[in-house]
Amino acid sequence: MKLKKTYVQKPRKWKKNLYENHGFLDNYTDTSFLEELRKNLNVKDSPLPTIILGAGRVTHELCIIVLFTVIFVYLYNGWVEPEAVFMYSGCLTSLGYILYRFFLTAAMPYTTLLKDLRTVLVFLGFGYVLSPVLKTLTDTISTDTIYAMSTFMMFIHLVFFDYGISASIVSSALSLNAALFASVCLASRLATPFHAFVLLTNTVECFALLPILVAEIEDSAVILSTVILLSLVALCTVSVTMTVLFSCVVIFVTIICPLLFKKWTRYKENIYGPWDEAVVEDQEM
Amino acid sequence: MHHRICMVSDFFYPNMGGVEEHIFNLSQCLLLRGFKVIVLTHAYGDRIGIRYMTNGLKVFYLPLYVMYNQCILPTMMCSIPLLRYIFIRERISIVHGHSAFSALAHEAMLVGRLMGLKTVFTDHSLFGFADTSAVITNKLLEMSLSNCNSCICVSHIGKENTVLRARVHHNRVFVIPNAVDTDIFTPDPSARSVDKITVVIVSRLVYRKGVDLMAQIIPDICARYSEVQFLIGGDGPKCWLLQEVRERCGLQDRVTLLGSLEHSQVRSVLNKGHIFLNTSLTEAYCMAIVEAASCGLQVVSTCVGGIPEVLPPDLIYLTEPNVQALLVGLDKAICDYKSGKVVPPFKCHERVKSLYSWMDVTKRTEVVYNSVAKERNKTIGAHLRSYLRSGVWPFLLVVSFCHLVLSFLDWLIPTEKIDIARDMSPSAHINNCFKSEGDCEWSSKKKKS
Repeated sequence: MKLKKTYVQKPRKWKKNLYENHGFLDNYTDTSFLEELRKNLNVKDSPLPTIILGAGRVTHELCIIVLFTVIFVYLYNGWVEPEAVFMYSGCLTSLGYILYRFFLTAAMPYTTLLKDLRTVLVFLGFGYVLSPVLKTLTDTISTDTIYAMSTFMMFIHLVFFDYGISASIVSSALSLNAALFASVCLASRLATPFHAFVLLTNTVECFALLPILVAEIEDSAVILSTVILLSLVALCTVSVTMTVLFSCVVIFVTIICPLLFKKWTRYKENIYGPWDEAVVEDQEM
Repeated sequence: MHHRICMVSDFFYPNMGGVEEHIFNLSQCLLLRGFKVIVLTHAYGDRIGIRYMTNGLKVFYLPLYVMYNQCILPTMMCSIPLLRYIFIRERISIVHGHSAFSALAHEAMLVGRLMGLKTVFTDHSLFGFADTSAVITNKLLEMSLSNCNSCICVSHIGKENTVLRARVHHNRVFVIPNAVDTDIFTPDPSARSVDKITVVIVSRLVYRKGVDLMAQIIPDICARYSEVQFLIGGDGPKCWLLQEVRERCGLQDRVTLLGSLEHSQVRSVLNKGHIFLNTSLTEAYCMAIVEAASCGLQVVSTCVGGIPEVLPPDLIYLTEPNVQALLVGLDKAICDYKSGKVVPPFKCHERVKSLYSWMDVTKRTEVVYNSVAKERNKTIGAHLRSYLRSGVWPFLLVVSFCHLVLSFLDWLIPTEKIDIARDMSPSAHINNCFKSEGDCEWSSKKKKS
């Protein structure tokens, strides 16, 4: 139905208030209607490389998980001696530590170094002593369950990992614990307690120490492609099928998702106006 | 034109607030103008069944399950038999729902529409568009309003908001403000303190009313002016914040917290003050500032939502919703008071009286009722087609099912078998009331007069 638009045209102009518009119909809509509407105030159009590098953080973590799993497979099949894994990973971690302490953060006093060294020794000592317990902890659980559980836990690790964005879902503690739990599960399938100890040491290096280092390094395409390439090559020595599947996932996460994100930003339509609730900024009281 | 109007909302007396006030006053004025009005709401505790309020306003407290925040569980179909029975019995012609939050209003409007009645909806609140809950509520509102004959909003901002979020055509949306009973809110300068300046705050103490802003302003103002004292009426989940500030800054003698107030007490509290402070973060209309202005207070308020539309600039100090701006606004109000540059209370009262009255609101609402009554009824097919526009397919199933239930009820309990309630002539009752000098039962249900 059409409401009659034959309101009395008075020379007086319509005003946006509730007490002066006598003579106008109550459903009169002025030309100023919705003129205070604002759209997409906080949407910033990021360039594609930035988006890809952002998505690269997820790919990076995914690659770390793959590399960790490859280490497990090598240890499990006895293709590599645990001592060698321990040595190499230890060297890499030391390198990373030096990089972190002396180049990325302000140089620390001597005492910090001692403190860090003590932490390492305590961890290694306790880890070594407790590794028989950790190895037998999930011994009685069937292998299928162990693998399913580890996959699930690594998935949780990926979901809750701190990618450097403050979202409510982020929980570094949960993320690290999930990864630790997955590796405790996997450790029970290994041959000796020393194998288990090496695997757990690697877990801590990959999921507790490495993220601290990575957070300090700026996103760079070189590092990202190196890590991807490394994990692809490593995975290739284990299973070709898995390599193909993994590269599909990497392409999806690093290239297709950013493209879709870029494309769909156009459809974003956030509406702002005088009806929005005012935000109270906290002040020191 | 004679209409039989059914006001529906989850929010009604004994609950207190803007919506409740609006329904009550609108109903009273409609009764006085010779219309038949009933009110549907859900049961409040043991307040269940039919009650009569002032001037024979018949209120149905329906035995429905209250789920959350005084809203009924929106089953869409469980209340159909009850609603149909009431609509037929009272020979309702227009169903008038109030408040977007009220599930009962939406259900009654759906049933009313399917029974071929006209529906009007009054929206009392503003909504954002940013968060998930807003997205969902807006969709629900769009579904509900896609078949509504007319909408009423309480301010122009409210109209813009409703048009945007419910996608109703702007011609179907009317702007009719709230009003204030200016005969109750009269100034009484003799109640004011002579040597002190009292700043009054009357509001529920919840986040949306800007309690956080109050908590930051009060110590600053108290430190600047030794003659200023605060009088705060209202209660709510954020009351502790004000108590804490009062405690920490040692302002027990200058900040008085009165706790929750009866509506009848508000006037006496307002009249103790010189300046009224409103710190709302969002507000569709804000009755509180009109009540305060009607009592002759200088009003300092945040400039959010519909507030800038409500009072003429010489009766209100508008500020941005932040601490600095509010402090500047209060400073100005205090300075103006000290130098005597204020609108005298009774003049202020007269101004407000000329701007807002419930009778005016009622007459304007009647225009909406008349236009709605002339519209043609839609077939069920047309109903379904307009619901389809909101894009929520499953809702069509709900509507169709409701239609089937109604058809079944038509067969089970035909309309002819339902007793028709006799229409009371309100004017006769009012006359009776005057004769028996107030001992009739409906004069004291609400402490209004």
